[in-house]
Amino acid sequence: MTTVDTINPEKRSTGEQLLRLARKNKLSTFGLIMFLVIVLAAIFAPLIAPHDPLEQNILARLQDRSPEYILGTDTFGRDTFSRILYGLRISLLIGLTSTVLAMILGCALGIIAGYRGGWIDSVIMRCMDMLLAFPTLITGLFIVAVLGANFVNIVLAITVTILPKFARVARAPTIALKEREFVEAARALGFSDLRIMALHIAPNIVGEVVVLASLWAAYAIRIEAYLSFIGLGVAPPTPTLGTMIRDGFEHILDAPFVSIYPGFAVLLVVLSLNLVGDGLRDAIDPKLRD
Amino acid sequence: MASYILKRLMSTIPTLFGILTIVFVMIRIAPGDPALAILGDNASQEALDAFRERMGLNDPMIVQYWDFLKDLASGSLGVSMVTGKPVADSVASVLPFTLELAFGAIFFGIIIGVPIGIISAIWRNGWLDYFFRVVSLLGLSFPAFLTAILLILWLSIEWRIFPVISTPTGGGLWDRIYNLILPALSLGIIMVAYIMRSARSAMLDVMGEDYIRTARAKGAPGRRLIWHHALRNALIPIVTVVGLYFGLLIGNAVLTEIIFNRPGLGKLIVLSLNQRDYTTLQGLMIVSALMIVIVNLLTDLCYALVDPRVKLK
Amino acid sequence: MNVIKTTMAAALMATSALSLPTIAQAQDLTMAIAAKSAGQLDPHVSTKTQDKIVFAMIFNGLVRFAPGSMSSDAIEPDLAESWTSSEDGLVWEFKLREGVQFHGGYGELTAEDVVYSLTRAGNPDLSSVSSDYKAFKSVEAIDDYTVRITLSEVIPSVLGVVANYHGGNMVSKKAGEELGESFQTNPVGTGPFAFSQLAEGQFVELVAHEDYFRGAPEIDKITARYMSAASARDLAFQTGELHMIAGSREDRWVDKTSGGDATVAVFEPGELRTLHVNTSKPPFDDIRVRQALAHAINREELIAFAGSKVARGNEAPVPDGYIGHESDITFLPYDPEKAKALLAEAGYPDGVEIPIAITELASLFGPMQVIQAQLSKVGMNIKFDVMEHSAWHKAIRDDVSPLVLYGAARFPVADTYLTQFYHSDSIVKTPTAVTNFSHCDMADDQIVAARSEPNKEMQQQYWSEAQQILVDNVCSVPLFELLQVWALAPEIDLGYELGGSLSLGPVITEKTTLSE
Repeated sequence: MTTVDTINPEKRSTGEQLLRLARKNKLSTFGLIMFLVIVLAAIFAPLIAPHDPLEQNILARLQDRSPEYILGTDTFGRDTFSRILYGLRISLLIGLTSTVLAMILGCALGIIAGYRGGWIDSVIMRCMDMLLAFPTLITGLFIVAVLGANFVNIVLAITVTILPKFARVARAPTIALKEREFVEAARALGFSDLRIMALHIAPNIVGEVVVLASLWAAYAIRIEAYLSFIGLGVAPPTPTLGTMIRDGFEHILDAPFVSIYPGFAVLLVVLSLNLVGDGLRDAIDPKLRD
Repeated sequence: MASYILKRLMSTIPTLFGILTIVFVMIRIAPGDPALAILGDNASQEALDAFRERMGLNDPMIVQYWDFLKDLASGSLGVSMVTGKPVADSVASVLPFTLELAFGAIFFGIIIGVPIGIISAIWRNGWLDYFFRVVSLLGLSFPAFLTAILLILWLSIEWRIFPVISTPTGGGLWDRIYNLILPALSLGIIMVAYIMRSARSAMLDVMGEDYIRTARAKGAPGRRLIWHHALRNALIPIVTVVGLYFGLLIGNAVLTEIIFNRPGLGKLIVLSLNQRDYTTLQGLMIVSALMIVIVNLLTDLCYALVDPRVKLK
Repeated sequence: MNVIKTTMAAALMATSALSLPTIAQAQDLTMAIAAKSAGQLDPHVSTKTQDKIVFAMIFNGLVRFAPGSMSSDAIEPDLAESWTSSEDGLVWEFKLREGVQFHGGYGELTAEDVVYSLTRAGNPDLSSVSSDYKAFKSVEAIDDYTVRITLSEVIPSVLGVVANYHGGNMVSKKAGEELGESFQTNPVGTGPFAFSQLAEGQFVELVAHEDYFRGAPEIDKITARYMSAASARDLAFQTGELHMIAGSREDRWVDKTSGGDATVAVFEPGELRTLHVNTSKPPFDDIRVRQALAHAINREELIAFAGSKVARGNEAPVPDGYIGHESDITFLPYDPEKAKALLAEAGYPDGVEIPIAITELASLFGPMQVIQAQLSKVGMNIKFDVMEHSAWHKAIRDDVSPLVLYGAARFPVADTYLTQFYHSDSIVKTPTAVTNFSHCDMADDQIVAARSEPNKEMQQQYWSEAQQILVDNVCSVPLFELLQVWALAPEIDLGYELGGSLSLGPVITEKTTLSE
């Protein structure tokens, strides 16, 4: 539970940290390379994909691996490999967008709460408590079910789900930081609160937040897959990993590969992000081993 | 202590009130029509209108809200729009299933996670440590449905060890436990990973403490010392992890419940969402939020008891 | 009695705790229904698929479709021994069987119960199917065992609405009055099986009705589980935990499942999948766009998607096997080039985007995705708004979707189908709305004329004309019919030939047995 009370202002630059990470932590470097490969594969999907991900071939449905379809075909005879590549685009986009949004909003709220204190703090943190009081997946499920399943609402749902975690993580060190000399000095110089929060406090908590972001991005991608699996994903024919798993689930006995390949794609993305997050955590503060 | 509990309880009241309001409003702006969902698509217009009138769905929102609060104040969660039964009964009938699943998962998390966490810490940076860390990362990263699917395919279909339907209609305690193993294991894998990681870092902290180092330097039998301290210190990461991830566990349980076709809070929430059973949905959301609030409270108390260094606020 | 039985069953289960599969106990049948939960267990309230098969085991009608059949010719006596009708078809008298007992000691069924049931079925406050009974002027008990129904006008099938289907199911007056609203959680009928308990979202349990008038059932207990995921039903059937499951409606599944000892029953009714086209709003208010749509759809491919064992093409708006179905329809064939040309002619040379609402339910969503791909080839780009099933039902009734893919089986007479889907009274968002999504009214005259036409040939002619008019105007594109598919374990002997079931499943009767 010794999460973030130890702030270390004499931190190395990010570049140095990364180098250190690469040297010391082979697993994380591996994770990073894996993640980059996945991202590149997603970006260049149109160049790599052997088939149009939307092209149906009803007569060739639910086929296992073959030279023509390297990971088989789905219920509509579409190429699973091509769909995974395109699906990664959407899944990554949703996962990363919502994580970044949650990070920015959550940190802003956390810093404001911590810096201002008093009733502002109470109101913000109470709201965060309310959000945290629902089981993690249920919050997202509820929001998407109510607002409708589309890209924007799914991003919104995931953002709302993980936002309070960032707010909490940003708040604690802010309280500690605002008593520090350099913040006092800035205040004495007549800097506005906004400027102090943005320029003096935010940069000092960036490390912890980034670690958290990489881990929660992994979770965000899983939430997207879970929501799609329950039937609350982006509308077809757009492929996303969760929808592909759901579509194949009906054939889990006779054609398990339809679900399992995209399932492993989710696993790889999440694993790579977790590896990176782990390494970053070690690099930024060896004491934060969870 | 008592005053601390009281204070913590009081502080949850505005949170709960906020939750109630959010749930109430969100459900009512949702698209879909309970009358149609309940009576079926072949129902006549007259029947639909009559149903809406009877259920008070035509009342203004503020009136419905007032009725809802009045019901709650009298300790009632209302009556299901679909079955006509008290919501509290439906909740009570599925709650044990979710709880046994969650506790089953935590149980697996502890019996597997704690030992491998300690082993990892003792042989830090050895091959066993690396192996377990990779395994735990895999456990963290495995999407819940993939675990469930693979477990079913192997243990139920290939080897026929466990049944697919994990809720017998009758049977005794042993039957129930036996049926719980597969879903609990499936849900518990993520807990194994979290607990293993916590146990490992807690152990490393302990091993870094001066008295252990001194003891070891003095040639005290190292292993026994470590295991002795380990077991005491293992309590802390367990409590922490359970508190931190209980919400996640209950959330993921939705998937487990769907795949294993088990009754439970999550599955009933999805069902009530589909049926637009406003009253049941409200009750379920309130109960699940309440559950998390209680667990958080308990965690804080346990934490204070287990680790005397942590002072109550 | 029931309590003792349940306790005994529980004891049995407990003793055999570790034996797997656990269904070897004598005469306890377990089945899985494709749904997340029961709807409402009141036969006059729920019209949902998952409840129909349960009702069929709990209730009787005055007459019934012979088990395993859904043809009007196969209607036979049930609670009524015999019946007569007046020359003009307006007055019907039913003579009841004596000594029929209700479940749970609610006594003997008399004419009073029939009057109560039919009146209840016709009351819009208590029943969802009251419109079927609009023409019922009065229902009277002449004596304890005679009921007289007087109609205000001739309707196509009187026997149909007093058969063991929806409102024709007879409930106990005493139970209905005593239990009031809670009747639906404790339904009381005269059928071979009595309601025992319902575990919400899990299962409903029925137990044998020892005093059933056709004799005590062979099966002691039925546990019908609600399992919406096809894979979950499948898995549990494969491991022998279930005797009978609702199957996946595709050839692939049928072939795979019938490979071993299990029987896969494919039976009537075919639920007609129809793409209804809103003719009142652009772009489909232009008949050329509608014709383009019809030309763009490849039925062969849609049938191939499910497979020819479970799906069959149908170009007529009324399903095959219904009285009044016209099999010889002139329709627009698959011709994508012509579709493109028509679309260009209508002013959409670069294609057109069409946002539609669609349910997440696989049996409709799957085919719709095939249609989406077909239409995109001629430049009609369908944008989905995927909704939860009940939200979708609401949306299409609010007239928000220009295309509505709908699948339905109704009482097998053309009038029901034509009236509900194509008569102007049924147009959505009107006070008398049912499910006319196309806003078509051009066949109104024929539909109405056929209703009270005493000459069968003339009636058929009206119905045929109506269907051709609807196809010519492309009010809808009838696509294919999907049959019912269930898998049965080898131990089950239904006791009748399963050719069709209006209850959409293999009904367990008093004669059904389970061998060891």
